Amino acid sequence: MIPPSWLHRAEPTIKGVGLACLHLVNFGLAFHLFKENVGGPCFMAGPSMLPTLDNSGELVIESILPHRLFPNRLARGELITLISPVNPSRIICKRVIGLPGDIICVDPTGLKAPSTEHVVIPKGHIWIAGDNAAWSMDSRDYGPVSMALVRGRIAARIYPFNRFTVFSSAATYIDQ
Amino acid sequence: MPLFPKFLQFSRPITARWVRGAANEGNFRRARSLISRPWRLIYWLPLGLGFTQYFYTVKTIRGRSMQPTLNPDTSGWDDIVVFDRYAIHSGEPVGKGDIVALRDPIDSRKMIVKRIIAVAGDVIKTLPPYPDAEVAVPEGHIWVEGDEPFRTLDSNKFGPVPLALLDSKLTYIIWPLDRIGPLRPPVPPVSKRGDPRDSRWYSDIAAFEREQRRQSRVTTRSTTLSQQNTENLVT
Repeated sequence: MIPPSWLHRAEPTIKGVGLACLHLVNFGLAFHLFKENVGGPCFMAGPSMLPTLDNSGELVIESILPHRLFPNRLARGELITLISPVNPSRIICKRVIGLPGDIICVDPTGLKAPSTEHVVIPKGHIWIAGDNAAWSMDSRDYGPVSMALVRGRIAARIYPFNRFTVFSSAATYIDQ
Repeated sequence: MPLFPKFLQFSRPITARWVRGAANEGNFRRARSLISRPWRLIYWLPLGLGFTQYFYTVKTIRGRSMQPTLNPDTSGWDDIVVFDRYAIHSGEPVGKGDIVALRDPIDSRKMIVKRIIAVAGDVIKTLPPYPDAEVAVPEGHIWVEGDEPFRTLDSNKFGPVPLALLDSKLTYIIWPLDRIGPLRPPVPPVSKRGDPRDSRWYSDIAAFEREQRRQSRVTTRSTTLSQQNTENLVT
């Protein structure tokens, strides 16, 4: 009779550890896919949305699935998250200013472009801007961005509990 | 009596199961296994989805805009190809001449398959629909075009494309069978004197000439920088 080698004795352990790893990877992927396709809480950082969202330490709910299902329901004044057109590894949060077909004044403050310059937003693109015009890199720098870059919406702020807000696209139109 | 001991050993559990089935216990177990199988599939779904989302995926190509590299007029099939998503997600820089799938910047629901002509920093001479004669591709953008200049909706229509729209890189053709294999870079085919020049040779030469024509329209950053440097030195 052949004496059992260490491999024989270790076989159930190796099988168990391998299966456990597979389960772990599976759970991790499920969590990641949910966060990327349905939505979830995420931290915000940066000064570009300052009066609305603080510089750091705020937890917001990002909703992605509604935008995946109905990508044409973007409205002016909504807070959206999108992948930066300049650096694909960054996710930025901005406010929708103009939809396809709108005529937009590039920079009303005249900081980055003469305040008389206007552009028509092409099909399938939107105009985005940060609320903090003095310290924001947005469509004034890189022009209209493609709707395919949009990830989802910012639904609500949850963490500083006293500043809990549900964001809505409450754009007011001034008739002339 | 034990002429076929193995057979007897084998047959015993079968009869046992049959008897239990008559007692309506095995039926229950069988039904439970039938229900649990789809649940097990759903449980492991993230693993499969994650693989196709972040590593490799198989897709069919529709349309003639990459003709004759993909879906040539001579083939009656739609090409089925393997796309490598890991090459894009791992963050390694994309190369000129790669065929990539990207999300259409005009219609965000569509995917388009195009060839990368120029990367960030290059200066490219554009083709007719574009308003400017020459464009410097900005940082974080690429210039994509289809291989068939008359039937494609590409950067000559919508300008440089942000890298974030890139989805995957084409690596392998698996259907039709006469073009099966990894995507070959366009190199001039070596042919000895007297070799018969078949249709493959001619298509290789044509692909190489097209590649040269594309490259002649692109000025890379390194060359322009060196030119500037020499000019500075001279002045």
